Amino acid sequence: MATIAVPLGGAQARQEVQAVRRPALSEYLRWSVDHKIIGVQYGVTSLLFFIIGGALAMGIRLELWTPELDLMVSGAAYNSLFTMHGTIMIFLFIIPMWAAYGNFVVPLQLGAKDMAFPWLNAFAFWLIPPAGVVMLLGYFVSPAEAGWTSYPPLSTLFSGDGQTLWALGAHLLGLSSILGSINFIVTILNMRPPEMTIWRMPLLCWAVLATSIIAVMATPFLAGALTLLLLDRMTGTTFFDAAGGGDVLLWQNIFWFYSHPAVYIMVLPGMGVLSEVLSIHSRKPVFGYRMVGLSSMAIAIVGFTVWAHHMFTSLQPELRIPFMITTMIIAVPTGIKMFSWLGTIWGGKIRFTSAMLFALGFMSMFVIGGITGVMLAALPFDIHVHDTYFVVSHFHFVLFGGSVFAIYAALYHWFPKITGRMMDETLGRIHFVFTYLGFLITFFPMHIVGMLGMPRRVAVYDPAFTDFNRLISFAAFVLGFSTFIVLYNIVRSYFHGPIASANPWRALTLEWATTSPPPPTNFHDDPIPYEDPYGYGTEAASAYIEAIDMAFDRRDPAPSGAD
Amino acid sequence: MTTYTERAEKQKTSDQRAAAIRLKNNRLGMNIFQVSWIMAFVALIVVNWQLRFNYSQWPPAGVPPFDLILPSVATLALLISSALVVQALKILRRGLAAAFLVKWRLAIGLGALFLAVIVYEFLNVSDAAMATQYGNTFRLMTGFHFVHALAILAIMCRVYQEANQGKYSGDEHDSWAVEGAAKLWYFVTFAWMLFYLVLYWIR
Amino acid sequence: MANNYGNRPSISPTTIVVAAVYLLVSVIGINWFTTFIPGIFPPQASAESKSVDELFFILMIVGGIVFFLIQGMLLISVIAFRARGGDTSDGPTYHGNMALEIVWTIIPALVVVFLAVVSFNVWSQNSAPKANVNMVNGASVPINVIGARYAWTHTYETGRLTPNGDPIIINSGANLHTYIGQNVDLSLQTQDVIHSYWVPAMRVKQDLLPGDPRQGGRPTELRFTPVRIEGVAYPTEYPIVCAELCGDGHGRMRGAVIVYEDEAQFLEQFFEPAIHAILNPPADPVLRGEVEIQNYICNSCHVLDSLGWTGLTGPPLNGIAERAGERVPGQSAEEYIANSIWNSGAFRVPGYDQQMAAFGPDVVDAANVMTPEQLYSIVAYLCTIGEQSDCDMENSVTAIPDAIRTVFSMEVDITFGMSDDAATDDGASGAGAVEEAAESNTQDESA
Ligand code: HEA
Ligand code: HEA
Ligand code: CUA
Ligand SMILES: [Cu+2]
Repeated sequence: MATIAVPLGGAQARQEVQAVRRPALSEYLRWSVDHKIIGVQYGVTSLLFFIIGGALAMGIRLELWTPELDLMVSGAAYNSLFTMHGTIMIFLFIIPMWAAYGNFVVPLQLGAKDMAFPWLNAFAFWLIPPAGVVMLLGYFVSPAEAGWTSYPPLSTLFSGDGQTLWALGAHLLGLSSILGSINFIVTILNMRPPEMTIWRMPLLCWAVLATSIIAVMATPFLAGALTLLLLDRMTGTTFFDAAGGGDVLLWQNIFWFYSHPAVYIMVLPGMGVLSEVLSIHSRKPVFGYRMVGLSSMAIAIVGFTVWAHHMFTSLQPELRIPFMITTMIIAVPTGIKMFSWLGTIWGGKIRFTSAMLFALGFMSMFVIGGITGVMLAALPFDIHVHDTYFVVSHFHFVLFGGSVFAIYAALYHWFPKITGRMMDETLGRIHFVFTYLGFLITFFPMHIVGMLGMPRRVAVYDPAFTDFNRLISFAAFVLGFSTFIVLYNIVRSYFHGPIASANPWRALTLEWATTSPPPPTNFHDDPIPYEDPYGYGTEAASAYIEAIDMAFDRRDPAPSGAD
Repeated sequence: MTTYTERAEKQKTSDQRAAAIRLKNNRLGMNIFQVSWIMAFVALIVVNWQLRFNYSQWPPAGVPPFDLILPSVATLALLISSALVVQALKILRRGLAAAFLVKWRLAIGLGALFLAVIVYEFLNVSDAAMATQYGNTFRLMTGFHFVHALAILAIMCRVYQEANQGKYSGDEHDSWAVEGAAKLWYFVTFAWMLFYLVLYWIR
Repeated sequence: MANNYGNRPSISPTTIVVAAVYLLVSVIGINWFTTFIPGIFPPQASAESKSVDELFFILMIVGGIVFFLIQGMLLISVIAFRARGGDTSDGPTYHGNMALEIVWTIIPALVVVFLAVVSFNVWSQNSAPKANVNMVNGASVPINVIGARYAWTHTYETGRLTPNGDPIIINSGANLHTYIGQNVDLSLQTQDVIHSYWVPAMRVKQDLLPGDPRQGGRPTELRFTPVRIEGVAYPTEYPIVCAELCGDGHGRMRGAVIVYEDEAQFLEQFFEPAIHAILNPPADPVLRGEVEIQNYICNSCHVLDSLGWTGLTGPPLNGIAERAGERVPGQSAEEYIANSIWNSGAFRVPGYDQQMAAFGPDVVDAANVMTPEQLYSIVAYLCTIGEQSDCDMENSVTAIPDAIRTVFSMEVDITFGMSDDAATDDGASGAGAVEEAAESNTQDESA
């Protein structure tokens, strides 16, 4: 039997802990180097952009209600609509949202007092609002209309000045992402307590580590590509202009060399969240911990070799096959994760908390996106469905069904830690049902319209697809509506939710071994992590959890979620 | 009543191990930054390479190749400058502040010489070259490198100023700024060596 | 609290029953899924489409198995392993099983290797160059596709010559004409941005990439072979769609592949009439102009409703005759139109970039050569586009040659006379009218 490590003790510590209150709202509005405040700043900012991006998506679906151009004044206006939708969702919502959770949770899980470079951390965050403003400004000047992928020569010779602002904004966001990631890597490698070897690190940290490695290696390529784009647009160079000896495939290669790894930047932290949530809420250790951690790294590495699967119809035919093969290989490490998670919940005592529901929802939706990903990798089939709604469907399944579901799971899971209040579980479940069904019915039929012949990025389509598109739009509005439930839940719970104890989910990782919300320095003494971050079911583990409860005067029984 | 942030600040400074951890973090952070940002330079090398394939020969027909002598001298100056920085850092660790200043000053001087040559080369690309990607990518790469080198040279100057005021002792905790500037300068040198090879030697 | 340390997850008999039922359901489910496949594809109109659909069938089965496996395990877990009322205990402390982990690494790896091999086979089969491409009358006729914002243009290099020695190039606008069994091999070029030539019914797609015009652009290739579909009446049409975002009119950049039953029908209904029309231009300048203008790629940049043109790069030609006289002070409508074609840089319509090639007397590029007679007839035709015309229509026979003379100081040698009995029926249009006019022209000459 292992020694029972009590993370905190002493009456004095306990009293101080009781005095902890939430930071005043005004502290979130100014420069702060506290990782928890920065985390919330990231989170709220990203959420705002999610609402904007979502509202734009509603615009897309409204326009597609009929096969003609009606809502929008021109095809170009529609183009800028989805360009902004895609860009905001990816660069201003998903990527910073993971920085939000990473910031708040990772140092706590490591028992650290802050990130390695607090000032840099704040700086990385404060790059985002101006970048967002620059980008949105572009929408009102003369908007970018080349899609989030901004292929030249459309983006260099034709798109309006908004494209320049778009590139500037993306540049700043890339910089922010690199700085943030350097910070994560150093924090995770250097700031663990001595007892926590790399093989005892929580899986979220593994995932954030893998993500950050991708970000620091790939994002400079984005910076390079954007620099060329800006030069071509502003100084008359001809890097992408064939008439001047340039090459349009140059952009595609460099852009996708960043943007394919970037899709794993968007989903790997979600997979980390899943490992946490599934294990904690089914009260069972993560199945095959090491392989789950290592598969994150495998995905990160293989992810660098597949970029040209986005260019199957433009690449020289001889080069297509190698990229098909590397792309398919990605299914293997991802599969390891999926099966290990199944192994985790199998035989457990599953509590259907909202966080758990969204984590299960992730598994059931992401797998569809993964399967269609492998289908897309099959070159002859991709030739048919490339740049159609099949692709749109694929990436919403992985981005919404994957990343966003994980973001929701993480929200319900860590909200008590972040705010000190529990979220409303009933509303959470209602939210889940609407989101799950709304999502499925929105995006599943897109596969079929895509295969039948509807290209993406069109406002005017073959009237034969009207019925499908009406169904999709209708479900999308339901999905949009479901977002209001969670927004309401957040606001209401923040002010009126039941007070959360230190460890409402009875978890073993260190972020729960302190008050909710944690005090400014996170822990009073250096906390001692439990020997196994997911070792549920043993007496030692129960004792550790008891000790946390004792130390923090557990105030109320947590909702067990059992039915 | 102090604010949340103020309390946070106060408690953090009281930490004993803070300095040691900070140095460790700085070093690792710097290494990761170097590995990361070199990728931006690699990206430009990829640009150069891909564009080459649009021409049947490189440099393109009718474009005279760049002159080698001046840039090679500048490259040598940069290498010496970097070597001087290595020595300067060692000397500083031994506590020889005055000798440090001499070496560091010389390193800055050679760095400035390097930059001057690069600016000259940048401005003197022939019109024939500028009509092709040969000149275009040359300006792109040297310009991109120049921006970085200039900024880091400025940091080296600042370090010199502070060292002159006796701010750095030989202790590695106190002199992180010197070490950091030196490492950034190695980065500039390394990045230039890549570019030098690609721009001037690989045909 | 219960101590479950070391317990293995237990599987109850109920679970086994649930699993068995589920297995059955999935088999039926996958089977059922696959019955939808024909319904979610466009018609199988090419040899390539068959193998792509077969590949999809395999992907669907593999995907179906993975899908049902994962969803099934999830379903079983949430039913069988939910914490029942009031149970606050933990699950078993079970950390993993090496053998199982190896299994679920190896099997997916084998599966993707299998998928890669199958895909590779289909790919090498579909992309292999074919012998005897674009055969028409036993000779290979290169077919070029030009993409421009926002229109497709197809041209056929027939290899034949007009009596004057000019090559005969058929321009069939947004439509590709082919016949069952023809090995189509298209050479694709873009005039501006990237477009993507997609024929859903053929399951083929290829991007058009801008290239250096001095080096002949950057042509890409697309191959397919139309096949017969039972129960379809030929000739039949399949849409061509632009699949790469190219700007405002991307969604409207469409065309059609017109497939004829066999080569005979193709020759009879498309190829021969088209050549005939080129060889026998109508006598009436207006009608002749209508034919001539379609031999150039004007359609890729201009809108002209009467001919179904949708290009948006250049100024629309609808109603051109109403405006032509007011564009440039001191230039008559005829002069303006002639000048705009032969010397396109002379006047730039506000709001448009100078992109149009000049078709004037000094042109060397074969596709852009326009003789004075051709210019004359095209101007005559454009002079009729509009509610009322600024041109001197009454006297176009002299007014237009005069205009050409003033702007280019060049004699216009009119080799086609204004015959009284030439067909000038405005209502008639299309191939029929062309045919008619051509016939009357031949008669004139022989008379
Ligand atoms: C979070 C984001 C994310 C993720 C995780 C993925 C994951 C994958 N993607 Fe996706 N993808 C995008 C985001 C993402 N993608 C986006 C945004 C685009 C469009 C960009 C644009 O053009 O705008 C895109 C486009 C895209 C294309 C190009 C389509 C085209 O434009 O023609 C391709 C082609 O190969 C592809 C493949 C894959 C594959 C193979 C995976 C794999 O990683 C999936 C692996 C997962 C599984 C396979 C499921 C679990 C595994 C098992 C249960 C094991 C057993 C399974 C098998 C044996 C099959 N994606
Ligand atoms: C994480 C990324 C992410 C997310 C979450 C989403 C979410 C959604 N997306 Fe998006 N999408 C992309 C990333 C994402 N998308 C990308 C990268 C592209 C490609 C762009 C390109 O081609 O360049 C794209 C493109 C894209 C298209 C294709 C456009 C085209 O090619 O023509 C469509 C079409 O239906 C679409 C729909 C939706 C919908 C209905 C949602 C919904 O899930 C949104 C639901 C959320 C909300 C609705 C928020 C809450 C809303 C409000 C608070 C306002 C409420 C208003 C009303 C209810 C009226 N998206
Ligand atoms: Cu042409 Cu889209
Ligand atoms: Cu990808």
